[in-house]
Amino acid sequence: MHGLFKWSSKWWPGVIPLVIFWGIAAWTSTATVEADLAARSNAALKDTVLDKRRISVDGRDVTFAANAFSEDGRLSAVASVEAVPGVRLVNDETRLVPEAKPYVWSAERDVGKVTLGGNAPLPSSKGKLMEAAKANLGGIEVADQMALSRGAPTRFDAAALLLLDQIGKLKDGKITLTDTKVSLAGMARELGGREAIVGALKNLPEGYSIAANDIQAPPYVFQAYKDPVALTLTLTGYVPDNNTHAALVAAAGRKFFSEKVVDNLKASVGAPSGFAAAVVPALGALSRLSTGTLVVSDREVKLSGDALYDAAAGQIRNGLGKDFPQGWQFKAEVTVKPPSAPVDASVCQQLFADLLVKGRIRFESGKADIVPDSAGLLDRLIEIAMRCPTTNIEVAGHTDSDGDEAANQALSEKRAQAVVDYLVRAGLPASRFTAVGFGSTQPLAGNDTEDGKAQNRRIEFVVK
Amino acid sequence: MTAVATFFWGWLLTALLLGFCMGWIAVVHRAQGVPKVWIGWLSLLAIALVAASFTRIVPGRFGYWLDLFLVMFALYLCGCAVGSWLRDWVVSRSKPAS
Repeated sequence: MHGLFKWSSKWWPGVIPLVIFWGIAAWTSTATVEADLAARSNAALKDTVLDKRRISVDGRDVTFAANAFSEDGRLSAVASVEAVPGVRLVNDETRLVPEAKPYVWSAERDVGKVTLGGNAPLPSSKGKLMEAAKANLGGIEVADQMALSRGAPTRFDAAALLLLDQIGKLKDGKITLTDTKVSLAGMARELGGREAIVGALKNLPEGYSIAANDIQAPPYVFQAYKDPVALTLTLTGYVPDNNTHAALVAAAGRKFFSEKVVDNLKASVGAPSGFAAAVVPALGALSRLSTGTLVVSDREVKLSGDALYDAAAGQIRNGLGKDFPQGWQFKAEVTVKPPSAPVDASVCQQLFADLLVKGRIRFESGKADIVPDSAGLLDRLIEIAMRCPTTNIEVAGHTDSDGDEAANQALSEKRAQAVVDYLVRAGLPASRFTAVGFGSTQPLAGNDTEDGKAQNRRIEFVVK
Repeated sequence: MTAVATFFWGWLLTALLLGFCMGWIAVVHRAQGVPKVWIGWLSLLAIALVAASFTRIVPGRFGYWLDLFLVMFALYLCGCAVGSWLRDWVVSRSKPAS
């Protein structure tokens, strides 16, 4: 041992080459060691969820900066780097992702672009939302302006994905999730879009609720145009369902006895309540016009055109709105058609006969109440009566042979009188009209078929 | 350190061999030895460097280079000790024969 101590005093010359070797070793290995430690530190953090991760190695010291999503996650990430073999020190520059309060997430759509903004809890949530947005919206550009923040409500991803589905149903607008409250604003892409969104939002995760829904739908439009030249009634726009569709077309057929109904209607949800109850009387009013257009837009009914005479215009202007369900508005721009040239008695008779071949004045079954569907026909009859003001007219009622003859006689008289009363209310002098009833004594056809009976139940105008 | 030694094991081996050679020569070398006072001071310096290494107060690359130097120096000393002892053994075995 003593010898070893003695010899050691002579070991110093070797230190000179040792220092040289050390210098070369330090020169050649430092960069390699740093790169290796950086790679292994990154590999150790591979499964750890961090934002803005940055690792730099100086010698064997690792400077580790990152934003973690929880304190546990932050500590475990630092421990993972510290556990990397070869690492001497870890300069911990990690911190927690900022907490957002209130936690706001939004999806905004304008022409050709969807912007996702606000906060997202994890990079995976962000990725999922972006992916879903791109998949749902086809070729539309999706911009990511989401920041990562802590403090998201539970089941945030499910709620945000559901809301993202709804953005596809908007033409433009914004959906905002503030903590667990959902606010929606904008314009639905299609009719019924608003209802579809409301329906879908019933599946929001538990605890989430709708704070405001200001989604607007495009107006629900129904149009009818009466063309006196082509003798057509063209129906366009939307109806709520096939039953209403059939009912409206049938009503149009009854009211427009001489026009061909061109049906271009489409069924769509989103109709305002009381749609059919408003449109049917509005069609009745249109049937009384010589030419006109009916436009129903949401709950607003606009009727424009020419009435056949003054009293009809007044009745339409003042009477129609009263038949509408609550909340409906009626705007009439009804003018009066210039009176037609006067004609003599024989032409007048011919005009009455022609008109009554095309349509019949209809009454409630077994009663003398004129049904509203006949208003258009009666207006035409009144207009003709006005063209021959010097004539007297006999209004003759006829029935089929069903039932008691005396009752039929009485019914035919009452019906003829009801028509005369209608004409007088329209402003014609009562002295020009005589109501007579013939019961079933003057049939036009056999009473053995329904068709024949229908032909026999009639009102005739005879010019005297 | 052992994990990163793969990058400079050649230099560690070189330090060991250098120490072995130096130790081998030192037994029969007639050169002047380091004075005892120096040895004391140098030992103190070595202890200070080892302490600095263990307490990790030298940052970054300088810390790495210090560790590297100390490891190489430790292996050099080991090599010296083995070399000197072996040479002494060889010399003492050959003496009775002559």
